[in-house]
Amino acid sequence: MPHFSWTIDGSIIGLYLLVTMAAGVWLRKRVRRIEDFLVAGREMNLHLGIASLAATEFGVITCMYAAQGGYTQGFAGAFPGLCQAVAMLVIGMTGFCVKRLRDSGAMTLPELFEQRFGKLVRWLSGVVIVMGGLLNMGVFLKIGGQFLCLVTGMNLAHLTMIMTALLVLVAIYTMLGGMLSVLVTDFLQFVVMSAGLLVVTIMILTQVGWDKLVATVQTHHGAGGFLPLSNPGMGWSFVIMQVLMGFAATLTWQTVISRLLAAKDSQTGRKVFTHTSFFFVCRWMIPGLWGIAALAMIGWKPLDFLTKDDRAALPAAVVQKIETSPIGKPLATLSETELAAMPASVQSTLNDASLNAMPKWLSSFLPIGLMGLLIAAMLAADMSTDASYMLSWGSVIYNDILAPFRRQPWSDTKAILWNRCIIALIGVYLFVFGLWYELQGNVWSYLALTGSIYLSSMSVLLIACCYWSKANNWGALSSILLGALVPVAHLTCEKVPSLMPLVKDITKDHAGIAAFTASALGMIIGSLLKPSTRSVS
Amino acid sequence: MTAHWFWFALVIAVVVWYSTITLWVAIKGALDIREMVGRLDEEQSRD
Repeated sequence: MPHFSWTIDGSIIGLYLLVTMAAGVWLRKRVRRIEDFLVAGREMNLHLGIASLAATEFGVITCMYAAQGGYTQGFAGAFPGLCQAVAMLVIGMTGFCVKRLRDSGAMTLPELFEQRFGKLVRWLSGVVIVMGGLLNMGVFLKIGGQFLCLVTGMNLAHLTMIMTALLVLVAIYTMLGGMLSVLVTDFLQFVVMSAGLLVVTIMILTQVGWDKLVATVQTHHGAGGFLPLSNPGMGWSFVIMQVLMGFAATLTWQTVISRLLAAKDSQTGRKVFTHTSFFFVCRWMIPGLWGIAALAMIGWKPLDFLTKDDRAALPAAVVQKIETSPIGKPLATLSETELAAMPASVQSTLNDASLNAMPKWLSSFLPIGLMGLLIAAMLAADMSTDASYMLSWGSVIYNDILAPFRRQPWSDTKAILWNRCIIALIGVYLFVFGLWYELQGNVWSYLALTGSIYLSSMSVLLIACCYWSKANNWGALSSILLGALVPVAHLTCEKVPSLMPLVKDITKDHAGIAAFTASALGMIIGSLLKPSTRSVS
Repeated sequence: MTAHWFWFALVIAVVVWYSTITLWVAIKGALDIREMVGRLDEEQSRD
């Protein structure tokens, strides 16, 4: 039974929501210029930057997929966090690309590209960034709602209601105060989120115990639970993809670089990166531990997530195969006939078993009071992420995709109104996409692949823009098209039954590495093919 | 066995570093907000 009390836990959550909304709305009168709305007037200091970057990059979905990583891959599941931390530390210390980006005064990445590659590249970059970003963000709400339903013991039928309420609250303060509201609410949310994460982690370490966690990983995953290269589900392709993703995301992920662009100067922006870098180990390690603890305490029992009727309808042979299936892959050993006979909703529930194991276990592990703190922490994590993501992708739509339609500069009032409308439309999209889209397989792999639609080409463009004198618009256009083509083709093949056999042996990691390679080759070959007399210097 | 100790050291480092940075940012971040809002108000009154 979930340990959730509406009186005690509900009061903690209500107090958190009240303070956050008040702080978010309080700043609306200080938004006068479009720079205030999009980059907080470039007034962001170091500590606010650390809190904001950390709160933005840790959402409920982060907690869920990192816990799924711990549950299905042991400690090795936290390896992407190490890659991201190293990437952010190196880039912060050296200023690689980011110094030139911040010093350019651009509000978005495509704005910088226009200076080197022209208007078409700026517009196309904006389209690719928004497409990758919105596909990536599309699954946030649903998974956030799933977590809250599971830990409170609420019926999953209430998912839509929870998603709507969360979205409306976030949209209100983001639309009113823009980046100013986001920075201040991020600060509050960072404190609440961190308190919850630390208390629950310390409780797990003391109550479950380190020895039991290690023994669980050793029993279920062997050496592969500690070393990524010994893990059959990881290997070199996974490691290479994580390193590429870590560097590319630090350089070009709009929600990350918007903190750099909102900083007072490039020195402050770089300090935000170096000081926040180790947080990326925390954001994988902490939920990863929660996932391992869930495996230690409740084991791998995917059938427990089915209703009694659904379970009774399964043939005995299928039940036995699912019970002995590898962790995280409940349907892996079923034949095509057995799979075809299983309702899609049952398949979906079983596939989500490794994702939902951690919140299900926490619902009975945490006492009343701490449950309220955990939910407030997760609401804080989710709201800060949603707000920043809505603002970031909205800023690219306004600043870059709509740029050709602005013959003359818009007044600040008109520009802010347009941004508010764009954020509202993104909210509607999130709601519809979250209800409609069915995830296939591991959440982190989906996020990495949709992210690579733009991470591959945008990181290649940024590096070439800053450091390669021969780069030109031919190379940039080739890079964007090839970088987006590979992941989009892979995602399409996964969804169209007749095309599924084509990608049967191609993992998401392979597709991601192919996207980076194709994008880099596109930049080099395209730039060299262009006659030098017409190149843009 | 070395890998076990690596992850153990990392977990301890995570708990210690995260606790420290949370306290530090909670105190300094509040001052940052006050300063940022002060500057924005100053600009507003100047205009």
